[in-house]
Amino acid sequence: MTIPSLSGIETALSGLEAEQTELDTTGNNIDNASTPGYTEEVVNLAPSTPTEISSESADGASFTQLGSGIDVESITRVRNEFLDAQYRAQNTLLGHATTTAAQLGNAQSALGESGGTTPVATALSQFWSDWNSLADNPSSAAAAQALVDDGTTLAQTLQSLSSSLSSLQTQAAAQGAAIIAPNGELGQDVNQIASLNTAISDAINAGQDPNTLEDERDNALDDLSSLGNISVTADADNPNMVDVALGGAEVVGGAGADMPAGLWVGMGGELGALALQSSTSTNATGTIQSYINSLNTIASDLVSTVNGALPPGTPFFSARGTTAATITVTATPTTATTFGNSDANSVADLQGGSADLAYAALVGQIGDDVQSAQRTQTTQQAVVTATQNQRESISGVSLDQEMTNLVSEQRGYQASAQTLNTLSSVLETLLSAVGSVGM
Amino acid sequence: MFERITELMSSQTTLNDISGDLDALTTTENELSSGLKINEPSDDPYGASVVVDLNSQLSQITNYQNNITDANGYLSAAGGALTNINNMVNTIRELAVEGANGTENTSDDQDEADEVNQLISAITQATQTTYNGNSVFSATPATRTIGPDSQTVQVNTDLTSLLGNGTSDTLLLSTLNKISSDLSSGNTTGLGTTDLQNLDANLSTLQSIQANAGALTNRLTEASSALTTLQSTDHTQLANTQDVNMAQAATTYSTEQASYTAALQSGAQIVQESLLNFLTPG
Repeated sequence: MTIPSLSGIETALSGLEAEQTELDTTGNNIDNASTPGYTEEVVNLAPSTPTEISSESADGASFTQLGSGIDVESITRVRNEFLDAQYRAQNTLLGHATTTAAQLGNAQSALGESGGTTPVATALSQFWSDWNSLADNPSSAAAAQALVDDGTTLAQTLQSLSSSLSSLQTQAAAQGAAIIAPNGELGQDVNQIASLNTAISDAINAGQDPNTLEDERDNALDDLSSLGNISVTADADNPNMVDVALGGAEVVGGAGADMPAGLWVGMGGELGALALQSSTSTNATGTIQSYINSLNTIASDLVSTVNGALPPGTPFFSARGTTAATITVTATPTTATTFGNSDANSVADLQGGSADLAYAALVGQIGDDVQSAQRTQTTQQAVVTATQNQRESISGVSLDQEMTNLVSEQRGYQASAQTLNTLSSVLETLLSAVGSVGM
Repeated sequence: MFERITELMSSQTTLNDISGDLDALTTTENELSSGLKINEPSDDPYGASVVVDLNSQLSQITNYQNNITDANGYLSAAGGALTNINNMVNTIRELAVEGANGTENTSDDQDEADEVNQLISAITQATQTTYNGNSVFSATPATRTIGPDSQTVQVNTDLTSLLGNGTSDTLLLSTLNKISSDLSSGNTTGLGTTDLQNLDANLSTLQSIQANAGALTNRLTEASSALTTLQSTDHTQLANTQDVNMAQAATTYSTEQASYTAALQSGAQIVQESLLNFLTPG
């Protein structure tokens, strides 16, 4: 039976190297315990190919196998792709809900609610009171002046609310355009994914484990998922690369990046929400445009009912401005004194009528939309947190676990070193015995 | 529960809880400081729209109340003037009765005619009484809305049916002029018959006009008290909808504060513990 005399040293060395690799990996895990998007790494070990030993006996030659230590096969990430897909789908919904809640919240702030009333409600009340005062005193220049002034205030309040809402739409469009600009958030993510695709593919081809690069790519994909509805598939030509479609349109194809030309509602996520809120042609409820439409109805209703109650030829509001943005007072204090008791009474009777009711309904509608958007956001946040925890439960670093590993790896290293030490002294015994012959 | 809990999970959960507690605390703080349950329409969308409606109704009620005050002003100005006219017409009637009895001499008759003329111009003056710059006896209708559902009252008292044209009819002014001329011409027969008959008919018209004004004043009082009831109902409803229940909010606030403090305390302690604390370098 022949055993190579130095094979034991090699075996002990492989143990030392394996423990060293494990210690390094554990150290890296501990260092990155709180790094966002870091995935716990594990060392995959396997026994190395055994040495065949021939032995001779009366029955002839036979072979037996002697273990030759351990091999480090690879260092891999602990990750579940299905949870990634689930997380990204929920994150898209959260991005949509958060953006919608913020946009509608801004629209609600534009109403200027303060101390239980809003500027438009106050201006409407004052406007009707002035008609009442004019009815009581039709020839009073002071009453006529107050009416024209407060009518102008009402028109300006409507105009300013309408323009605040319009500028929210413009801002939403600008925000969306900034995200999809080449250097915007989307552009950065998409370019990063494309270049990481190349780097990962190269590393794998060179036989490396590009764990850090894959973490970076997953981070970029997570980030991208809040912007829009993404689907991630392996590239057909190179399975180490991923293709990404945003709202059905390809934005990453292997090593190449393609930016979307504009926003559309079907993108989902933050971009889809911005597309919906910035749209000036939509009739959908829960959009800024639907509030502008309601406000326009109120304005045109005011113009037609007030002017309709007055004699033809002496309108109060200009007939040309029948939207909230264009409503203007055309009457002067002088013409207002010609309206008379009866007509002024007819206008004052419009208080609490269609315009007031429509405004109250608009306030209720905006409140309702904001409330439901905020609730969706809260629910969606909880779902995303739960999914994130599930993912973290699998991929996260538990310091307690790492510390336990550290202790056992330290012991393993010590044991391997002790084996080497023993082998060394065995060899020394042999060498000293053999060495004395012939000296 | 999850199979494996990592430090990041427990710290993230603690952070979420803390920020949720702080959010609730801020909302209650806002309610307490403003005294309002509804600080944004989204706090209570239906309530917010009810508040707009109620405020509009309350402003309308104030308008109606102003109108009632205004109408009362008109009616009391008219009432005062009508009482004066009534008194003066009665004085003229006494002079006419004296003239008809033919007991005075011609110069006395002339004095009486002069007095009647004075009274006639005083009556004419009284019919031009104004309130707030507007003639209360104008023939043009002036109305005030005094309540919901187009409840209106006419505030001007039209005296056309009483005064007449002053020359050719049998109404008040013509009758008074006739009495004056009959007194100066000593037409005792005319004074005693047609003049007195016409005057009495006109007096009765005047009294019915005064009675109408009185009835209208009663109607205004009733409308005003109905509005006061409506106003107080609206105020109660408004308070119920938008005012915060201070006792309840204060209790909620202290509960939320306690849970916020607890979350902060446990967060500060939980995240500190780890196996590291118990491993000694060996």
